[in-house]
Amino acid sequence: MPWEYSDKVVQLFMDAVKGAAGTHMGEIEDPDGYGEHGSMVCGDTLRFTFRVEKHPTDPTRDIITQARYLTFGCTSAIASSEALCTLLEQERKTPIEALQVSNEDLVDFLGGLPEQKIHCSVMGAEALQSAVADWASKRGVDLAAIVPDKVHADEDEGRVVCKCYSVTEPYLRRKIRELGLRSIAEITHALKAGGGCTACHHEPGGLQDLLDEIWATSHETDDAGQATAAETHDTAGELSPFQLGRRIETVIDDSIRPMLREDNGDIELIDIKDNIVYCRLLEPPGGCPGGADRTRLIVERQLGEEVDDRIRVIAI
Amino acid sequence: MKTVYVDNNATTAIAPEVLEVMQPYFTRDYFNPSSMYDAARSPAEAIRSARETVARCLGGIDPDQLLFTGSATESNNAAIFGAVQANPARRHVITTAVEHPSVLEIGKELERRGLDVTFLPVDGHGEISIDAFVKALRSDTLLVSVMMANNETGVCYPVAELARIAKQTDQEIVVHTDATQAIGKLPVNLSSDLKDVDLLAFSGHKIHAPKGVGVLFVRRGCRWRPFILGGHQEKGRRAGTENVPYIVGIAKACELAVQNLADEQTRVRGLRDRLEHELTARIPAVEVNGRDAKIRLPNTLNLAIHGIEGEAILFELSRHGICASSGSACTSGSLDPSHVLKAMNVPFSAIHGSLRISLSRYNDDTDAERIIEVLPTIVANLRRLSPYWDDANNCLQI
Repeated sequence: MPWEYSDKVVQLFMDAVKGAAGTHMGEIEDPDGYGEHGSMVCGDTLRFTFRVEKHPTDPTRDIITQARYLTFGCTSAIASSEALCTLLEQERKTPIEALQVSNEDLVDFLGGLPEQKIHCSVMGAEALQSAVADWASKRGVDLAAIVPDKVHADEDEGRVVCKCYSVTEPYLRRKIRELGLRSIAEITHALKAGGGCTACHHEPGGLQDLLDEIWATSHETDDAGQATAAETHDTAGELSPFQLGRRIETVIDDSIRPMLREDNGDIELIDIKDNIVYCRLLEPPGGCPGGADRTRLIVERQLGEEVDDRIRVIAI
Repeated sequence: MKTVYVDNNATTAIAPEVLEVMQPYFTRDYFNPSSMYDAARSPAEAIRSARETVARCLGGIDPDQLLFTGSATESNNAAIFGAVQANPARRHVITTAVEHPSVLEIGKELERRGLDVTFLPVDGHGEISIDAFVKALRSDTLLVSVMMANNETGVCYPVAELARIAKQTDQEIVVHTDATQAIGKLPVNLSSDLKDVDLLAFSGHKIHAPKGVGVLFVRRGCRWRPFILGGHQEKGRRAGTENVPYIVGIAKACELAVQNLADEQTRVRGLRDRLEHELTARIPAVEVNGRDAKIRLPNTLNLAIHGIEGEAILFELSRHGICASSGSACTSGSLDPSHVLKAMNVPFSAIHGSLRISLSRYNDDTDAERIIEVLPTIVANLRRLSPYWDDANNCLQI
């Protein structure tokens, strides 16, 4: 699938990669706010730091003056990170005002994103929220009292719905409402959840159930009668497979291996199935006419004489 | 800027010789090869001759055992579903965890239909264990399907050995192999080392023929049922009016592939080895996926570049006119990174930064030099942006 990035995305990415003047790559030492979102497993991570101009008396009037990011991710993840930092610095927002910056603002700033890359902008907004929470705790600001809808302390603790990307139920519930996600595809594009093994799509308590509950709809899921593969096969034989195996092992250990070792050869038993013996044969150095098959025939003949003449030997 | 095309495991440029022999069948000899009039003799004769050419290229087999299809994916579908249909009493299939989706997804579908499917795991080198294969064989094993060479890593599998073990165990087990990446890069001989293989599939567009044509080999006597019904073409084993120009094209491409096999094994391998050597020397924290496998395709280099994301690497390479691919989630269209690298237990930090360079006979030293010149800088620039890269010490930090 070829790239469908806007000129703005391409330009921000290229400037970032070149480290052009005015770009925001980096990490502020001893920052006033520090936040991270994503993980190595998911394939993208954003570490976001900012510095504020501190208000002498009222910390809620601190102004963000510098914002920096480090991003492990694709072209649009890097461009989204640039967009976030540029937006914040341009507008001299307080951290609390900054919380109003949504992923849509980032998408608009970028001149649009391909729909399967929307999660890159969501990652920016989430890292920002976590950095503001960090700032609030450092500055003694009670964020929950001022903007209760932006405080999501326990979200990491909830039941994990999407195991591939470790996405929890409380987080999903909030984002489905916030972003107005109506389908599993929209959830996957925005949050990555459900984009891996897809097992969480229709399992009980999975993505469809959450969507149905939140948007109060219900589907008649037609159970395409999953055939139960109850396979029973009886390996009937006059010798118990266990006994046969034991006798084969004994004969190999007591007579065949010593015989082969006299010629500096050896045998390793891999498996026994019914009357087939799989083994790895170490040829005597120098070899002899007939090679591998001669040794195999010797083993087969010996087992035939001492255990059962229907035994076949397959060399691995 | 000249395009440097190093994504030949995805598709290849059409060889001029192939295009040339195809042309008359678009214009002058467009007739339906099944028609009765004299004019239709030429396309009918072209198909007969193409079938003979392909048969010669695969080890001098009887041409009647070859069917022309629309793609390797179709060939794989026809091979596997046809074998399953013809052997209803058996319920077990053995394949690997690293097959191309056109086999892997069929494996999952067979599970849904109630069959037991064993997906053999691979180790860190990308190799399967023959012992594990032996242990997986059952009295009701119907089919063994193992690819000859992996499209992502180039790791090759001991298909001849597995086929021999399967047949010695039980003649009725059907052995299938997806040879799409092997043709033209490895010897493929169905009358010598691969004599125990019953079904073999490949496509034209990996060997410099156009997209939209494939081959399926069905060994005489193999328990198999046709998959596409509705016509007498291909002796009723693959219905549909024959795609004459493409069939002529794939035959020419097979002929060229056999002629160029030595070049692939020496000069192309040399280019790959040079890229591998120079890139691993110039880029820190990089590994070669599948390097320690016993046999690897001569044209494939799969790099694990730690700490950065493959899609961003491809984007930068593309700006420099270099076409390659990645197993990164962001390039898969599904958010899931490469199932092959995951099966090999490649760490996530490196799966997302995987880069596949796959060469063909049309690549040369100047292509390799361009890559060696630009890739280390691209990697260094992206790593400066990465939270997982310690710039001061030039190493990965997690």
